[in-house]
Amino acid sequence: MKLILACLLILLSATALAAPVSVTVVEPYADVHTGPASEYPVFHAIEKGERISVLAAHTGWYKIETARGIQGWVSASELSRTIVSQDNTFVIAEADFDSFQERRFEVTVSAGRLENTNALSVSAAWMMTANIAAEAGVSQALGDFSENRLWLVRLQHTPFPDWRVSPYWSLGAGQIQTTPTATLVQSGAESRTNDLLEVGIGARLYLVKQFSMRLEYRRLTALTERDDLEELNHWQLGFSVFF
Amino acid sequence: MATRLFSIFLGCGALLGALSAAPALAQSNDTLASPDVVSDSDINHNNIEFGAFVGQVSIEDFSSGAVYGLTLSYHITENLYLEAQGGVAEAGETSFEVLSGGAPLLTEDERDYQYYDLAVGYNLNGEIFFTDGTTFNTDFYVQIGGGSTDFAGDNRFTLSLGTGYRVLLTDRIALRLDVRDRIFSTELTGEQKDTHNLQYTLAASVFF
Repeated sequence: MKLILACLLILLSATALAAPVSVTVVEPYADVHTGPASEYPVFHAIEKGERISVLAAHTGWYKIETARGIQGWVSASELSRTIVSQDNTFVIAEADFDSFQERRFEVTVSAGRLENTNALSVSAAWMMTANIAAEAGVSQALGDFSENRLWLVRLQHTPFPDWRVSPYWSLGAGQIQTTPTATLVQSGAESRTNDLLEVGIGARLYLVKQFSMRLEYRRLTALTERDDLEELNHWQLGFSVFF
Repeated sequence: MATRLFSIFLGCGALLGALSAAPALAQSNDTLASPDVVSDSDINHNNIEFGAFVGQVSIEDFSSGAVYGLTLSYHITENLYLEAQGGVAEAGETSFEVLSGGAPLLTEDERDYQYYDLAVGYNLNGEIFFTDGTTFNTDFYVQIGGGSTDFAGDNRFTLSLGTGYRVLLTDRIALRLDVRDRIFSTELTGEQKDTHNLQYTLAASVFF
């Protein structure tokens, strides 16, 4: 418990240090809301020529303080029209399709079917170039007879990154650990780990802001010690956030 | 297992922290080059929420007990968010075990109830007025997710439906009351059935 408190204190102190940023309003006026969402009531307006401090941000909203000490929230779209000095605009990097194409990191959460079981996956990708990404992921597939845990690293190639719906294919390798359910363990079945190879195809669709979704099919080959290789089909639908 | 869950969450937190800090570092060179240009990355973005919770869980057929764990959320828009949650609890005895006084259905280890959920949720924003001058921003939220429950020696795929209420004491610190139904299929009492495991929890969380 002390460890959790210590972590929270470190997080709080680490992010509380940034100084407020001072900007000047150039639009005729901007609405100030009581909270960081459009549903919150407008209780104040900042005027053209007024100097304000930007204190913090939450999703697409900015907390501001006027010279007279009034604090409230202004939306990113309204604040993006304020300026710092005569020539320099206050740059708000609202994520769009262009920034999606220039993304460096991406985290994806997926749900789907591995053979006849429900599977959940989490993966993180690093875009090495606009076309090639390195990704590492773990999956857990839970069936009536066994539990499968997979980890895979893969290279992903996107031939047309500038398409809104963009296909890709991937090659990967990793391991699969299969643990039989408790009732089967009692009858003598054992947990086993096998190497795994992956070939996959899929398509990615840019949605909004930092969000995209993807649908993919992976053909997994488990290198077992038996004569036959074990082939597994994995379908999944994922949601990604990029940074 | 609790320690492992905890370290996984700390790891995730550190990763997200590093990722959110990355653009700020990249931007600092530009800022040095022309000091008048101020950009978005000079401002604290508090989109990640990290919380710890305690509460009660009712494990179907196996009595109820205390549950506690950690939550990590990423708020994408004023309404949409993603959340990962991990928790641990201990199941009690079934009515049958208590009444018959016979052999227990599960060993002590198998009574450990551990889970994780990955969920997507939707905030309905609001305000609460304690007095004329004291107001707090709040969210009522609903969420749906999937995950895994480790109980009675097996991991089971679990559907998670939840709702809750968040009161923001400050812009950074919140209190949350969560109710969640975690549904998984089991054959522990003889026949295969879907069990509903309801839990309500109180959490303190911090945005960073």
